Amino acid sequence: MRLGRISLTAFTWLVAILFVFPVIWMVLTSFKTEADAYTDPPKLFFTPTLEQFAGVFERGFLPYLANSGFVTLISTLAVLLLAIPASYALSISPVKGTSNVLGFFLSTKMLPIVAAIIPLYVISQNLQLLDNVWALIILYTAMNLPLAIWMMRSFFLEVPKEMIEAARVDGAKLPTLLYRVVLPVVAPGIAATALICVIFSWTEFFYAVNLSAARAGTVPVFLSGFITSEGLYWAQLSAAALLASLPVMIIGWIAQNHLVRGLSMGAVK
Amino acid sequence: MTTTEVAPAPAGRGAEQPAPRRHASPWKRRAPLLPALIFTIAVTQIPFLVTVFYSFQSWNLVRPGSQYFVGFQNYIDVFADSTFRTAMLNTVVLTVVCVFVSMVLGLGLALLLDRKFTGRSVVRTLIITPFLILPAAGALLWKTAMFDPVHGLLNFVFGTDIDWLSAYPLGSVMTQVIWQWTPFMTLLILAGLQAQSKEVLEAAQVDGAGRWRTFASITLPQLSRYLQLAALLGAIYIVNSFDAIYLMTQGGPGTASTNLPFYIYQRAFEGFDVGQSSAMGVIVVILTLIVATFTLRLMFRTFDVSGGVK
Amino acid sequence: MAEVVYAGASRIYSGSTPVKAVDQLDLSIADGEFLVLVGPSGSGKSTALRMVAGLEDVDEGEIRIGDRAVTDLPPKDRDIAMVFQSYALYPHMSVAENMGFALKLRGMSKEKVRAKVDEAAAMLDLTKYLDRKPKALSGGQRQRVAMGRAIVREPSVFLMDEPLSNLDAKLRVETRANIAALQRRLSTTTIYVTHDQVEAMTMGDRVAVLKDGLLQQCASPRELYDRPANTFVAGFIGSPAMNLAKLPLSEAGVTLGGFTVPLDRDVLARAGELSEVVVGVRPESLRLVGDGEDGFDLVVELVEELGADAYVHGNAGEGQRIVVRVDGRTPPRLGEKVRVGLRELGELHVFDPQSTKSIAQSSQPQ
Repeated sequence: MRLGRISLTAFTWLVAILFVFPVIWMVLTSFKTEADAYTDPPKLFFTPTLEQFAGVFERGFLPYLANSGFVTLISTLAVLLLAIPASYALSISPVKGTSNVLGFFLSTKMLPIVAAIIPLYVISQNLQLLDNVWALIILYTAMNLPLAIWMMRSFFLEVPKEMIEAARVDGAKLPTLLYRVVLPVVAPGIAATALICVIFSWTEFFYAVNLSAARAGTVPVFLSGFITSEGLYWAQLSAAALLASLPVMIIGWIAQNHLVRGLSMGAVK
Repeated sequence: MTTTEVAPAPAGRGAEQPAPRRHASPWKRRAPLLPALIFTIAVTQIPFLVTVFYSFQSWNLVRPGSQYFVGFQNYIDVFADSTFRTAMLNTVVLTVVCVFVSMVLGLGLALLLDRKFTGRSVVRTLIITPFLILPAAGALLWKTAMFDPVHGLLNFVFGTDIDWLSAYPLGSVMTQVIWQWTPFMTLLILAGLQAQSKEVLEAAQVDGAGRWRTFASITLPQLSRYLQLAALLGAIYIVNSFDAIYLMTQGGPGTASTNLPFYIYQRAFEGFDVGQSSAMGVIVVILTLIVATFTLRLMFRTFDVSGGVK
Repeated sequence: MAEVVYAGASRIYSGSTPVKAVDQLDLSIADGEFLVLVGPSGSGKSTALRMVAGLEDVDEGEIRIGDRAVTDLPPKDRDIAMVFQSYALYPHMSVAENMGFALKLRGMSKEKVRAKVDEAAAMLDLTKYLDRKPKALSGGQRQRVAMGRAIVREPSVFLMDEPLSNLDAKLRVETRANIAALQRRLSTTTIYVTHDQVEAMTMGDRVAVLKDGLLQQCASPRELYDRPANTFVAGFIGSPAMNLAKLPLSEAGVTLGGFTVPLDRDVLARAGELSEVVVGVRPESLRLVGDGEDGFDLVVELVEELGADAYVHGNAGEGQRIVVRVDGRTPPRLGEKVRVGLRELGELHVFDPQSTKSIAQSSQPQ
């Protein structure tokens, strides 16, 4: 029994390490010289160097990073701003036809994004929004809004009805009620929702590649620049991939409990 | 003799008043919802309507001024296009296989994680990491470090000499997508496992159910809505897979790994054929809606949202 | 301080078949009175309370607090305070903030809020806990915070919705006494909802019994116990419940198992043409008697020993189940056949089997 437990634990560890090995390899490669990265058999031991990271920044990584940060931050704020009142109207003080509205929001997630890319391209062009961060901000907000509403609604449903009533008896009007009573209670849920919006905005590729380029390009666009020069710059590619993923990775690691809660709550309630 | 205050209420008193009154006006209730609703309609529905409009036009950006109404010609062309059919088939295969395999793997990992052991939180952190890697980074990473025919780790480990991306293009893409999505499934299913009532599990033990029996008769049914949700969310995102194909195979060799998003992208941004790619977009939406209607209905039944207020 | 009046107040839940949760309620609660609304679940007691709070619409009739009609006022303008079943404390606020929230919303100065909160906290023995969050409190302490939140506002009416149902039995008894004492001290008009008839009987100046949205009877606890207006109240108030049996009626009286109890002439007169009546008798109005004495036979099926007393559940023939209170030291054995008689001839309640209303209650008033 005890032996079984230990071997199961060992097995779990083995699976986890195998599973995450590509990432480990990426981290290792990012500290190699291009020559070390490109050997047969692959090298596990080498003299680490930071030259690849320097190379990534020389390639002009910073503006892309700034774009990603800006787009992610603003669109996530916009999502919260729109989703919080909407979720309130779908949970605590539900409007008629709540399930239809929810269904509509969810169904927009099912529309393949390619179906609208051409008009979006043309409209952006006409509005001078091509290769402009605001086009991405608007689209990412729309992209994340349904999921955010869906998730946040389930957090709002967790707020005890009697507490809302107590606040009304205490004399709270809607803004006070939302800001002073409901929001503090659902704060963990909002954090989880925001986290998921951040992840999806940061990693979004399709809109970014089609609607932005050098000026408004985000981190994934920067990475896609490597497909033309592949083979030559493995180590630098690894460094770039690591840098590009690092912000989301760190947030995700720190907040993984929120993440789990967010996903499953949005899920099942 | 106390038949006192059972007072049959004085007739007429309440009757004079119109029954429902003092309900908050419906518009006041709707107000908080409207900004989100209007924004969503404007950004997601209007472009789609424009797509429908374009789909009835012959319009190629390479030939300026050539825009004119062609009726259903684009649709006829699309259905005659064998690449479109290949792309559709690839999309279905990609979505179904990836969702299924990542769910099975996710279930396995979740079961491994759903017990106390040394370093559990570290293992969980390791396992969610692929989900936190930029998909674009993941795709390039697999393309180079894993699948490269000369220096890739796969050939090194298996001692083979295969050009994975040419020999098994769709399989390679799917491997990467599955690797990316398995953590998501694991997290969701793990949440489901941990939401199980311990007492119910103990009751099953007391009732004499063995480990497998408990899993099959108690755990799986309780997990079903988590599994359905995982499938739905996974499918929504995987149907739209673009990064992996764009970065790893460019749909090739030939059209072997072309899916619908990538094909529409190609026709629009490389072929500049606005009319035809719009028609494809419309077809994809209709097909998705048919599938989605069933899924949504299933989901609403499962989560019992139709009751609206909980 | 104010009186509360329900004037033909109804709450109708719309739907394919509209449900009258509260049906034309007429009830007035005097200034300073402690009124308990009691009934089984679904009786509309909570709805009736929430109508006063303004949390539930009033679809017909009106509600007055003091001399103001409050029917159309939002909760905050009604000068009421409410204690909820779940306490509904704000989890992110300390005890002091919880208690002072309403005052703060009214724009009262910080010092004044603090003073009021301190005063109420002292009254409820909460001073030590003012800086804690609700999570760090025991159930009883949370309950007191909920009370405190109501008290600091010095409202004209307290509304309490099953405030003790989340406490364990011992604490409930203790808190029951505390709330009653506190109410007497503040003499604030209080409406208290409970499904627990012991709470109702021990706390209320008057008790209003509701069933299916209809007021069955509103009277002092004693009156309710001694003179139930109908079979529902008779069965609901008192534990164990009053024995109720449909028995044939003749000139001689009512008969059970060969035992005929004579009825007063005026009772018979009021019963009129009825050939059957529902007769109610409380377990403590029955006693075990010797073989030769007047009474009916009972086969003992269950004995509940409570120490001082024991309750004997048995079958009086024809499926008629009867409960008798007996001396706890000498209870009969299971399966034994005992003879049961009345303590006082008059301690019978007689109800009309159709309308279920009381025809007569022939016990000598206390």
